[in-house]
Amino acid sequence: MAPLNSLEKEYPLIDANFQTFCASHAIYSVEDFLLHDLDALFASASNPSTSHRLKQLLSIIDALHPPLINGLQLMEDAKQNKHVLSTGCEGIDALLGGGLRAGQLTELVGPSSSGKTQVCLMSASTFAKHKGSVIYLDTGNSFSPQRIAHFVGQSSDCVSGNQADRRSLQKVLDRIICYPVFDVYEMFDMLHQLKINLTSEIVKSDRHVQLLIVDSISSLITPILRGNGPQGHALMISAGFLLKKLAHEHNIAVLVTNHVVGGEDGNSKPALGESWKSVPHVRLLLSRDCGGNVCNISIIKHPAMASGRTASSIRLFV
Amino acid sequence: MFNEERFSSLITTSCVDLDNILGGGINCKEVTEIGGVPGIGKTQIGIQLAVNVQIPLEYGGLGGKAIYIDTEGSFMVERVLQIAEACIEDMSEYSHHFHKDNQAYGVKMHPNSILENIFYFRVCSYTEQIALVNYLDKFVTEHKDVKIIIIDSVTFHFRQDFDDMALRTRLLGEMSLKLMKLARNFCLAVVMLNQVTTKHIEGSFQLTLALGDSWSHSCTNRIILYWNGNERHAYIDKSPSLKSASAPYSVTSRGIRNSTSSSKRIKMV
Repeated sequence: MAPLNSLEKEYPLIDANFQTFCASHAIYSVEDFLLHDLDALFASASNPSTSHRLKQLLSIIDALHPPLINGLQLMEDAKQNKHVLSTGCEGIDALLGGGLRAGQLTELVGPSSSGKTQVCLMSASTFAKHKGSVIYLDTGNSFSPQRIAHFVGQSSDCVSGNQADRRSLQKVLDRIICYPVFDVYEMFDMLHQLKINLTSEIVKSDRHVQLLIVDSISSLITPILRGNGPQGHALMISAGFLLKKLAHEHNIAVLVTNHVVGGEDGNSKPALGESWKSVPHVRLLLSRDCGGNVCNISIIKHPAMASGRTASSIRLFV
Repeated sequence: MFNEERFSSLITTSCVDLDNILGGGINCKEVTEIGGVPGIGKTQIGIQLAVNVQIPLEYGGLGGKAIYIDTEGSFMVERVLQIAEACIEDMSEYSHHFHKDNQAYGVKMHPNSILENIFYFRVCSYTEQIALVNYLDKFVTEHKDVKIIIIDSVTFHFRQDFDDMALRTRLLGEMSLKLMKLARNFCLAVVMLNQVTTKHIEGSFQLTLALGDSWSHSCTNRIILYWNGNERHAYIDKSPSLKSASAPYSVTSRGIRNSTSSSKRIKMV
């Protein structure tokens, strides 16, 4: 929590006099302020300007917490804003009850080469085709415009090569913005920048970001976990919260990929550990038959579907 | 809003079948992992790529330089000379065939110049390896025409007596992210050669690439080399844009070539 003197620039009412007053009660930081007994502070405020400032400060703090809404408002918000959008693959859509839901963080877990990046690319191409904007954070240089073109060409039954197709493909590719990130701090910068852009931007109907993909979040977080103390852990959880907050406030569907590590009995389990398990809303496990073109997906966790439901024979690797 | 156009820069492997399944060759801007049992030709492929990246633009190559990071000591200079000479011979043969009518393009390359353009680093411990990867950023900024980095083999120093597995996972994760960043920012290909180990799956032992599951996610593409009877085959195990396929190749005195084809001409794309 920030010390009080660093807030002086932003909130000029916390000036030197106020800080001395606070120091006399052993309050040096925002945390101390919040923990202190406020009635006692008010009582000890000798001059009216100090008590006036205290009231102003409390109203600022009140304004910072998220608004309280009731269940009815939540349901209306869900109906109007939190749409379910198709991923482009019928098997996955059937499994998820329609597709990816805006406002939810969906995680794809699977061993190497099981199809996670393919699902991401397919969802990106489907969302972009339906005029949504897609942001793709790529940690492994695996974003492939070639593959997007293939998915776009596959679902519309046109032969590629004529002018109109190329123009529409160009438009689809324009809606997908790919950022290479190689560092967890770069990812945070990107997400904060996105937050600022989204809160300040006037919503344009077809430029609205609908899908955010992080492929893969585990390669960004594994280098910082378990290292120098709990910072890595804290960063991972705060990344999860930031993604969920972006999803909820701006009605974006967020898709992240994770890999597996060896568990105790030799079974593989998702990476990133126990604390990460509760962060995504929906977790899907992908596996691929050896060398086959078929991918099996099963639900590990979903707020509305039974876990263990599977869909197989999804041909992703054509 | 920017649109990603695929400017493909591909480095040929000198084997037509292998190039075909790779979509033309090894991609720049991507990290490719090549793994296989000892003796199957990983170092040979590494050396072949280090020579092929220098093929000048007129012959369909990239005209770039190569960085070779050797952890095992398997880089034999005599072999590189052999492969370089064979490459130049093939290039002059090509120019003979296709430019018969025009004046012959003299091949202005000499095997020694090919050797000069390979920057060789020998690392003897994992700390050296990590320090080198950190240093490469500065090195490539100074030598902008480096187009490929070959690490042979990336797993060697991380396998024996590493007590702290968590530390190993972290270090490997960081190293792979740095290599990805290098590949992306400087538009070069990174090729990592890996060894195999046995894994106990469902009651049977299977060969898998070393360094574990977390490492298997640190590359963009993965090619596995294996023996099929008496022939060497390459199989694409992981790729975001290529189909799974396998192709035969062979290791000859001239380098990596097709296995059944008798023609020694390199197909220039």
